[in-house]
Amino acid sequence: MSEFFLELFSEEIPPKLQISARKNLYENLKKFFEENEILIKGKLNVYSTPNRLIVYIDKITKQISKKSEEIRGPNVNSPDKALEGFLRSNNINKSQVFTKKTQKGEFYFYKKPSQKINTASLLMEHLPNILTKITWNKSMKWGNHNFFWGRPLKSILSIFDGKKLDFNFYHLKSSNITFIDKELEEKIKVFNSFKSYNSFFKSQGILIDQEKRKLFISNEILKISKVKKIKINLKKELLEEITNIVEKPKILFCEFDKKYLSIPKEILIITMQSHQKYFPTFDNKDNLINNFIVVADNKDSKGLIKLGNERVIEARLNDAEFFWKKNRSQNLVKQVSKLKNINYFKGLGSYFDKAQRIRKLCGIISDEMLISKEKIEIASSICKVDLMSDLVGEFPELQGIMGGYFAEAQGFDKEISLAVSEHYLPIGMDSMIPRKPYSVALSISDKLDSLVGFFGINLKPSSSKDPYALRRMAISLVRLIVENNSTLKLKDLINYSSMLYKDQGFEFDIKILQKDLSEFILERLKNYLKDKQVRNDIIESSTKISNVDEILKIYKKSIALNKNIKKDFGQDVISIYKRSSKILYSEKENSLEILGSADPGLFKNDFEKNLYKRIHDIRKYFSSIGKTENYEESLKTLSLAKNEIDAFFDNVIVNDNDPSIKKNRLELLKMLCKSFENYFNFSKIEA
Amino acid sequence: MVSKKKKNKKEPLTFQDTILTLQKYWSKQGCVLLQPYDLEIGAGTFHPATTLRSLGEKPWKTAYVQPSRRPTDGRYGDNPNRLQHYYQFQVLIKPSPSNIKKLYLNSLASIGVDHNTNDIRFVEDDWESPTLGAAGLGWEVWCNGMEITQFTYFQQMAGIECKPISVEITYGLERLCMFIQNKKNVFDLIWNNDGILYKDVFHQSEKEFSAYNFEYANTDNLFKIFDMVESEAKSLIEKEISLPAYDQCLKASHIFNILDARGVISVAQRAEYISKIRDLTKVIGKIWLESQK
Repeated sequence: MSEFFLELFSEEIPPKLQISARKNLYENLKKFFEENEILIKGKLNVYSTPNRLIVYIDKITKQISKKSEEIRGPNVNSPDKALEGFLRSNNINKSQVFTKKTQKGEFYFYKKPSQKINTASLLMEHLPNILTKITWNKSMKWGNHNFFWGRPLKSILSIFDGKKLDFNFYHLKSSNITFIDKELEEKIKVFNSFKSYNSFFKSQGILIDQEKRKLFISNEILKISKVKKIKINLKKELLEEITNIVEKPKILFCEFDKKYLSIPKEILIITMQSHQKYFPTFDNKDNLINNFIVVADNKDSKGLIKLGNERVIEARLNDAEFFWKKNRSQNLVKQVSKLKNINYFKGLGSYFDKAQRIRKLCGIISDEMLISKEKIEIASSICKVDLMSDLVGEFPELQGIMGGYFAEAQGFDKEISLAVSEHYLPIGMDSMIPRKPYSVALSISDKLDSLVGFFGINLKPSSSKDPYALRRMAISLVRLIVENNSTLKLKDLINYSSMLYKDQGFEFDIKILQKDLSEFILERLKNYLKDKQVRNDIIESSTKISNVDEILKIYKKSIALNKNIKKDFGQDVISIYKRSSKILYSEKENSLEILGSADPGLFKNDFEKNLYKRIHDIRKYFSSIGKTENYEESLKTLSLAKNEIDAFFDNVIVNDNDPSIKKNRLELLKMLCKSFENYFNFSKIEA
Repeated sequence: MVSKKKKNKKEPLTFQDTILTLQKYWSKQGCVLLQPYDLEIGAGTFHPATTLRSLGEKPWKTAYVQPSRRPTDGRYGDNPNRLQHYYQFQVLIKPSPSNIKKLYLNSLASIGVDHNTNDIRFVEDDWESPTLGAAGLGWEVWCNGMEITQFTYFQQMAGIECKPISVEITYGLERLCMFIQNKKNVFDLIWNNDGILYKDVFHQSEKEFSAYNFEYANTDNLFKIFDMVESEAKSLIEKEISLPAYDQCLKASHIFNILDARGVISVAQRAEYISKIRDLTKVIGKIWLESQK
């Protein structure tokens, strides 16, 4: 077994590109080894630092044997040229071929003898191609060179069993040396094994294995949190990013002036995490405190790094504090009319127009949800004002949240501030969801208004593109309804919303809009059910009732069936329905019109009568439950028909000689199916 | 307040010495030292020595200081970090040399920023200028968490693919000097060895220009001027003289920036104005490129 080791040295490659390049390189190499039957014992390691992309395999087959194989040439009847070409391409002469008959006719064949190939020479030949195949999400050119890489590629080190593996890659030539100072690229060093390479960099404090680096960083931070008795949330994405922007991590414990803790904590956290890549810290009651963690990429021998970072965060917070003080005292109500100057979207008016529409939608919803109309109208009028604040200009991701803070500072009712703060939520499938009625009402209105507007001006998402994030918005709408047990009638709200647009002079084709948007929302409901691990057949069957007013019902029925389908009563429900509907289906061809009303006068035995009675009970059950349906209970009620249906099928022949009795029995089964369809049509459900 | 301290080597550079040192350094690297462009522009990148010269095959190296105007960033001289007028030190080299990182880090060392004792990071920053129809890949360079430089490999300029590729290094001189001199407030920067501070030079102008940009600029007139320079640019484009046409573009761009600061441009209009300027720039880029053949 041999060692293979490759290093691509470049200028600093951004974290995401590094991650994808590692993955790419791993997969491309793996595929290449498999295709060429090159055996790897141990691991195929791909490491990276911002400047180095490294492949290391400690045990790889030195030589592969290609088995002897018969290669088919041209048909014996084809022109001479074909055979000549075949001989040429295999580098053989005519005495080495023979003819053989196959099903497709008689052909020339060449038996290629078994051969041994050195892995090293295969690698030399194919590495350039494998490297070219790395797909960069964003790539660039530099200097006079004519190829693309994540950032300028400077050198390639390639070693197989202690010897360099020569190949050319665009203007570069592989060698056994690399730059050991990423800063100035002045010092070079020869490496003939991974071991010496790894231990050299380790001695410089550089961890080339990203997993080790990540572990080192998190361990060091945990140590600090123990010693200082504070909490540090090692946010996964941030840790991942930081791991890929440093090579020799040094953890610094820093602090900023306590006075900045009076700024809304979201601002502090975003400044630290997103802008500066710091870890914020909390006391054991989860309150943000004025310490933070910097992962530097150098030893802080003179204390300059800590000092510098502390100064930077203070400058940023100083700016934020200035805006916070200024913005929170700017009267929200007085600013509402200024929203007229901000365009919401071409063809959908200004943000002032939008706020007015949301206000009216909220008014309607408030009647249904039994909340104060006055309060929700205030909340909707001011909910977009924060878009004009300096803080949202600086921190766009804090839209809504800042509005909530401003409202609170200006003495608005708590429910109003919370509604403003939460009205963009949820953002898609995983985000937090508003629970308070005012927040729910405002959030639903805002999303519905946007959906109706964009569908109205025909900017629906295409299969691949969704530039206005309407899918996410519709999923959020579905979640708001389902997770808050809301029975709001979306159909009416969609109509009302388009009327509101019309009142402002934006006219849409309501019929098409209603249809398209309803389908769109129901499609999102399907995705939502999928996300909840509901079986596909159940999703398809439940959403056949394509009515956006029934989102909550459809959801609950699907969940109840999905949960109980493997239980006895679930199985019973499906088998009862399927047995009955199968017979009806097979009778369809006879063009008998079965409407689902059996005549008890034509019953010939108790089995029919008992089944009839059971159907009656089921109907009674469904007509009495009203809004308080317990879906598991409904399934159980349906399953009770098992005894009667079993007895019916065991003892009654549907296909009676008397056509009227036969028809009556079919009517009875149809009645049963219909009563089951109070839940839904089970015919496509697999038992 | 004349400083009588004895000069020694450890003394941090003054603002003007920082500029002089950088000029000397890049001059040694063979750069053509230019003076600031004599129009109001938003960044060193807009100087024709960068925009137009980055197009085409002829090699080019230049370095210059460019006063940069960002009307929306004005804070009446009250904010320790924000200015509506500040200085950039701009370097452009075409084709980008392979030792450019070394050249850059050594330039930092020459003004007292040692990469051995500080945390110098190259943080991903893909640059785009919608008004110039330009895009590039590179980094913002952080020194101990503070952005001190933009480092960009131009990929496209004026809508034209760059070939060969230029590298642009843009130092934020005030930021850099605040770091070197260890100042928390830009107005406290030491300008020269004769006791002059940044505030002595620029505080009044920050105050007055903020008032102009945010309150007094006559927007009706500015809209008219925009239209005038736009049509001037168009007529110069017809005559196929790229440099004067480009000047008109720069004027339009600055007027647009003031209108933006005055808050009289809606989101939709914004896109429209930007595309007007970009369209002009693109044509001018082509004309200039043609003139180089």
